[in-house]
Amino acid sequence: MSNTSTAFAPEPEAVEAAQTGKARTRKRWDIRRGGEVAALILLILVFSLLNRDTFPTLINLQAILDQASIPLIIGVGATLVILLGCIDLSVEGLMSACGVTFALLSANSRMTMDLGVWAVVVGVALGAAIGLANGLIHTLLKVPSFIVTLGMGFVGFGLASVIYGTDSLPLLDGGGIKSWPAQQFLNLPYSFWLAAVVVAVGALVGRYTRLGRFTYAIGNNEQIARSNGVPVRWYKTAVFTIAGACSGLAGVLTIMQLGSSPAQIGSGVLFLTIAAVVIGGTSLGGGKGGILRTAVGVLMLTVLNNGLLIAGVSVNIRSAVSGGILIVAIVAAAWPYRSRLRIMK
Amino acid sequence: MSLRKKLTLAVSTVAIAGLAGLAGCTSTAGDAGATAPLKKEDLVFVCSVINTTNPYFAANIEGCEVLGEKLGIPVEIVDAEGSSQVEISKIQAILAKGKKAVVFVNTVASSDAPVIVDSVKQAGGFVTIWWNKPDELNPADIGNNFVAFQKHSGIDSGKCTMNELGKAVGPDAGIIALPGVQDSTTSQTRVAGLKEELATNWPGIELLDTRYSNWDPQLAYQNSKDLIAKYGDQIKGIWTADDGMQLGAIEAVEKSPLKGKVKFVSDGLYPPTIEIMQKPDNPIVGETLHRGWAASAIGLYTAYLAATGQIDPTTLPNEKRNSIFKIGCTTPETLAEAVELDKDPSAWIDQMIAKGPWSTEPFTLDRGGPEKIS
Repeated sequence: MSNTSTAFAPEPEAVEAAQTGKARTRKRWDIRRGGEVAALILLILVFSLLNRDTFPTLINLQAILDQASIPLIIGVGATLVILLGCIDLSVEGLMSACGVTFALLSANSRMTMDLGVWAVVVGVALGAAIGLANGLIHTLLKVPSFIVTLGMGFVGFGLASVIYGTDSLPLLDGGGIKSWPAQQFLNLPYSFWLAAVVVAVGALVGRYTRLGRFTYAIGNNEQIARSNGVPVRWYKTAVFTIAGACSGLAGVLTIMQLGSSPAQIGSGVLFLTIAAVVIGGTSLGGGKGGILRTAVGVLMLTVLNNGLLIAGVSVNIRSAVSGGILIVAIVAAAWPYRSRLRIMK
Repeated sequence: MSLRKKLTLAVSTVAIAGLAGLAGCTSTAGDAGATAPLKKEDLVFVCSVINTTNPYFAANIEGCEVLGEKLGIPVEIVDAEGSSQVEISKIQAILAKGKKAVVFVNTVASSDAPVIVDSVKQAGGFVTIWWNKPDELNPADIGNNFVAFQKHSGIDSGKCTMNELGKAVGPDAGIIALPGVQDSTTSQTRVAGLKEELATNWPGIELLDTRYSNWDPQLAYQNSKDLIAKYGDQIKGIWTADDGMQLGAIEAVEKSPLKGKVKFVSDGLYPPTIEIMQKPDNPIVGETLHRGWAASAIGLYTAYLAATGQIDPTTLPNEKRNSIFKIGCTTPETLAEAVELDKDPSAWIDQMIAKGPWSTEPFTLDRGGPEKIS
């Protein structure tokens, strides 16, 4: 499933540092990242030409960035987990559990409780706690991450249903925390700035910290990493905890955007995020890729979705057109470099 | 033989024995197609809903429980968790317990109906299906065990809400529509009603765009944001196929430059919708009036009457086996009626028991189905 080149494989310097001790010795043009950014620009240009009055507008940029904020945040955790060579399928269940918890701890129409900003903290902490459980079960009991997180996703949905109860749908009170994501800084919504901060922190952690370097090392070859004294169990658990916290934050932000709290949220987000991780060039096998790549992947998919809708493409063929355009965009962007790609798996 | 092999053999033997036992139970659970009057003490009410957290489905459960309490019959709730497979397997598990089941099902998908009807028939129970079934599946063709299919008209719903939206936005405005799942007959009929009303009474109103939002508030929020970016202040009204999606659309407008400039209509009149409609800055101008607790009580009571021999389904006319019940139109001015109804579902169910399932205002039988989209 991964499509990497042996000649121009995007080995981050961090991996090299972790494996060989040479820190950032070479700065090599990263062909695939360049290709994806070019594909994103190509998509933006095409949609701008097709819909000159409606696509390249500030309000549409705000809509795109607001929509991208949730998968961007989830993408940070998902990328780290995939870099380990694992997978986290609990995203939607965690979003639901954390979102409902946040809603019922905020000022709402059910008048349950109002913890103010602490409701956000509790929501994110719940996500981190479930992520921690994912990590511990995976590492201590040696259960494949696929199974653990799938099960924990259902636990999340169940938890959301129990917390939600049978009372009516809670509406967040007007103003305050509900209006936060739509407020703007430099004409862009806070929801996007929050996602940008999470992505930036994630990228820095991935590149410049021991946690990031060991994540790449474990994903490359867990056995070698362990032989070299990397406390694999600890770092894997930490990464799953971070991923859980990201899902929790995404759940909280979703409820803030919606202004109300259905018992289940995040439908389709998991698939979109994993697709973005792969399209961004992170290998599902682990050890190769990065958070900034995922961010480009998320933006590509969001722009594509928005652009097709704005262009008025019928919903009946939108999915097929979406896939086709994505392939054409990536092929076109990487075309000049095709002769340099020796092996494509 | 190693310990592992012995364990494997033992587990396999137990599993096979268990399956054989289960098969035995299943085969003896139902005397196929029994239609003789059943004793009340042998009955169990089964109330199957798509999930337990949606306000409408929660109201379905409330209706089942109130009716069960009034008739002294235990109620089993089936939470389909949004899955046809879960729904069917849970219903079959209850049928296998042995008691005669009187079943109300709000089906996850129309294709579930034949399987459920067949299972109930095999177990000698009685079932009424609400909202979704294939048009070609007729209760009269199946026999007494499939007592009735019942629904409110989607076309009437679409016409009612579009008419209210037309009155609010004027004859030359632009609107957008957010239907539910593309292949849902409920959504399709509501959209058909919307288009019929537009063509008949509001030819000057332009339906700018239609975006399926899968009954999902989050998707409705995102689609609304995209469409606001595309059409801007051309959008004067938003039509949604249910209240959940309406909440998402309202939030998208609230967080855009169109705040305060767009009117909304939808179907369901969920409790949160009532809260919004009672506020001074309410943007919702039209809703339909039908109630989840009334639907489940009507459905379950119809099946109960057949199970206990108080009605003979074979003698009923088509409209009582393939039924479309009246649906009301609600505006902020007439909201009080809905609020009053919601105060005491139990009193309405008392009336329904006294008058029969087809004659209790405001949810009386309107006509026979199936509902055809022209």
